[in-house]
Amino acid sequence: MTGRDFSERDIHMALDGELPDEDRMAFDFWLNANPEMAARSARYAADGEALRAAFAGVLSEPVPARLAETLLGRTAGRRAPPSPWWLAAAAVLLLAAGGASGYLAGSAGSGAGDTASDQLAEEAIAAHVVYAAEQRHAVEVPASDRDHMETWLSSRVGLKLVPPDLAPDGFHLVGGRLLPAGSHKAAMLLYEDAAGDRLSVFVTAESAARGSGTYAEMADGPRAVYWLDKGYGCAVVGVLPSGRLNAVAASAYRQLLAGMAS
Amino acid sequence: MDDRKTAILAEIPRLRRYARSLLRDRDSADDLVQDCLERALARLDNWQSGESPRRWLFTIMHHLFIDQMRRRSRRGEAAFLPLDNEEALAAPAEQLSSAASRDIVHALQAIGPERREALVMVAIEGFSYAEAAGILGVPAGTLMSRIARGREELRGLLDDSTRRRAIRIVEK
Repeated sequence: MTGRDFSERDIHMALDGELPDEDRMAFDFWLNANPEMAARSARYAADGEALRAAFAGVLSEPVPARLAETLLGRTAGRRAPPSPWWLAAAAVLLLAAGGASGYLAGSAGSGAGDTASDQLAEEAIAAHVVYAAEQRHAVEVPASDRDHMETWLSSRVGLKLVPPDLAPDGFHLVGGRLLPAGSHKAAMLLYEDAAGDRLSVFVTAESAARGSGTYAEMADGPRAVYWLDKGYGCAVVGVLPSGRLNAVAASAYRQLLAGMAS
Repeated sequence: MDDRKTAILAEIPRLRRYARSLLRDRDSADDLVQDCLERALARLDNWQSGESPRRWLFTIMHHLFIDQMRRRSRRGEAAFLPLDNEEALAAPAEQLSSAASRDIVHALQAIGPERREALVMVAIEGFSYAEAAGILGVPAGTLMSRIARGREELRGLLDDSTRRRAIRIVEK
């Protein structure tokens, strides 16, 4: 087939074995002539290999007895303990309802199974629920006093905090406030878009853990996208379509990292 | 054991791998597989002869996974998982020896559940677009867009973790 236009869509089809055979040669030719697309294709292929490698070991694991027993119709035991983060999340709902985010300072970290990521996300969500709803008292320092806010929050939280510019995503800075985060301090930066939807960026310098995560896509309430690294944590919270929230969060996180390194 | 149960038994390793890529925590993943097997046994009569056991079982698992995500969001639960518990990872720590392997397991968990399902179904489980779309109950175009966005999201997250490591090295 000649003269067919290819696009990124064809890269995915080629990787997944869905590109028609008759298009293959023309596609390879197109890829050769487009270094940027070739690099993207190679990168996706490498990520795919890494994914398969990461989960390959599961196939050779012995089948747990309880699964085989289930199939044989015997009453199979189930694993007993409830997930600790489930309980922790329930506690946050109570906190959010009471509006007492400061209480987290006492409760955070009490459960043996609590992880730093749970705590960070819970605190960020609780703060968002309480403060993003406030029209007049949402922030302590308004965006008009940005230089002061930057200096003040940076010194209190203990890292160089440059508020990300989220204007390309349609959000402008409303201002910031200082909050308790466990036994430490966190900065909350509040943003708003033209429709009045609010987004908060929660940053703390205290974290012993590493990781990243997000809420379920179907969540109706505020959803947090967070990153944790040893020495700092960041959570972006809002009630937005997940695609938009992920995009804004990724942008905010990149800028925060750049700001800290500057 | 009848033939149908033997066929289901043979699919357990694949079901476990799929569940592990969706939920990561080993026990939660095996709970999902167990739920899937229980539902399959209860509905054995619905399994039409000629239908691939794999597709039938993956469809059941997909519905259970989506139900679980919905229940969580209704309760206001985050789909957070313990991130630094090495025992809970998809593969034992020694199999995830490289930082790159750990990063990709973390990153996969961070992308939206629907994209995660679509990507895993095709990139790890090797289903065709038509099969995966059938199992997930979405049009092929939706599936393709989830795969494309999933790959892009995964790439961005992996770049972020690489950059974080680079920054840490510079700081030292």
